[in-house]
Amino acid sequence: MSSSIASSSSSSSSSSKKEKKISLKTSDGEVFEVEEPVAMQLEIVRSFFADNEDVTEQTVMPLPNVSTAAMHGILEYCRAHEEFRRRMPEAAPEEEVRAFEAGYVDRKSNEELKEMILAANYLNISKLLDFLTGVAAKRIENKSVEYVRAFFGVENDFTPEEEANLRREYEWAFEGVDED
Amino acid sequence: MMSGILELPEGCIAAAISFTSPRDACRLACVSTTFRSAAESDAVWDHFLPPEYLSAISGSGSGAASSSSSSSTTTSSKKELYLRACHNPILINGGKLSFWLDKPSGKKCYMISARELKIVWSSTPEYWGWISLPEARFPEVAELRSVCWFEIRGEISTSLLSPMTTYVPYLVFKPTEESFGFGNNPVEVTVGLSGSEGQNRTVYLDTREQRDILFYLQLPRRRFKRGQASVPPDDRGFSPEKRGDGWLEIELGEFFYGGEEEGDLSMSILEVKRGNWKQGLVFQGIEIRPKKKE
Repeated sequence: MSSSIASSSSSSSSSSKKEKKISLKTSDGEVFEVEEPVAMQLEIVRSFFADNEDVTEQTVMPLPNVSTAAMHGILEYCRAHEEFRRRMPEAAPEEEVRAFEAGYVDRKSNEELKEMILAANYLNISKLLDFLTGVAAKRIENKSVEYVRAFFGVENDFTPEEEANLRREYEWAFEGVDED
Repeated sequence: MMSGILELPEGCIAAAISFTSPRDACRLACVSTTFRSAAESDAVWDHFLPPEYLSAISGSGSGAASSSSSSSTTTSSKKELYLRACHNPILINGGKLSFWLDKPSGKKCYMISARELKIVWSSTPEYWGWISLPEARFPEVAELRSVCWFEIRGEISTSLLSPMTTYVPYLVFKPTEESFGFGNNPVEVTVGLSGSEGQNRTVYLDTREQRDILFYLQLPRRRFKRGQASVPPDDRGFSPEKRGDGWLEIELGEFFYGGEEEGDLSMSILEVKRGNWKQGLVFQGIEIRPKKKE
């Protein structure tokens, strides 16, 4: 199903003229040619093109904080949502959206998820950021402090005394936590 | 691992935490200093405070039963406000309901005052009286003086409940020194959406200990009754539990609210089959709170 979305430039949109593309360059130098309505979901891209009148179709916008891997994930999500949006007037494919999102995120490791949150935050795609932080929330719910440190790769920067005090203050929140 | 390089900004952490629960947020505050700052931020706790609570404490002014100066509301953090919402129930709907939040989950909890319940015979002073108790949340509680027909019904609009939540209603009461007549007699209780079948179960209003004593006291007499087995009373239903505030509560059933069901959640408590005289209980109301997670 997703492959048909990816190749939308072929014949599916017969009514449109030649679709405008926007070139985005990731941190590792790969250039992505992205359909305009999809690229415009990236707020950072939208404002870049809105604020700079002298940019042309040939302009390649650099995105130094986004890896190629993260970009693939981001575009998969944004393309799917553009496709859903186009069909919106007739069919409200809410179930389909949910099914897509569930499948989409099941394939992401914790590390990939974190990388994508960073990318979505930098690119300022609020819808995707909401979705991904929601997924991260599900994954850390009812988990131990140690588990969450490992999950996010976070250093414990409390002094032992600070941590002990905090744990005492929030003692009630530690009952019945999942095994790591 | 590329951990150190990919440190999430505090805003993203706060966003993720706000999708968890208050209990998770408090635990996540212990992860690191950045997590603590995110987990204690107003942005997160704003998410946990239902708008109904905020409008209830700001709306009527006097509705906020807090005795401290109202200016503290503006200066305190959202987390402090949340904790106040959990620990200090407020009266809403003209004093008919007591309203607070379940601390671990932030779900809305209520107690329907006895005055809002439909109690059969409650306007007849020989049968029921209305008294004030300092330990009650409401100005009046219902005192059962003496009835044969014991019937209490309560309703609450589902629109007040938090969606996607299994609620458990409890009858909140306590015995007086003249308490008598319930003993090992089962009480029929139901919980369900108004007009639907709902759940039925059998409960007891006397505590396990009281019923054990009664049971053994009555044992010799029971033997003479034809066909009546002397089974331990506990395997036929539920008994009341003692609450932290000194009252007793008996669980009436369960109700899952998905968010779409319109109408009233209704509860009934009946002991009308035996026809014996029952007396000496004081009823504060029916409490509705989320089922505790296993």
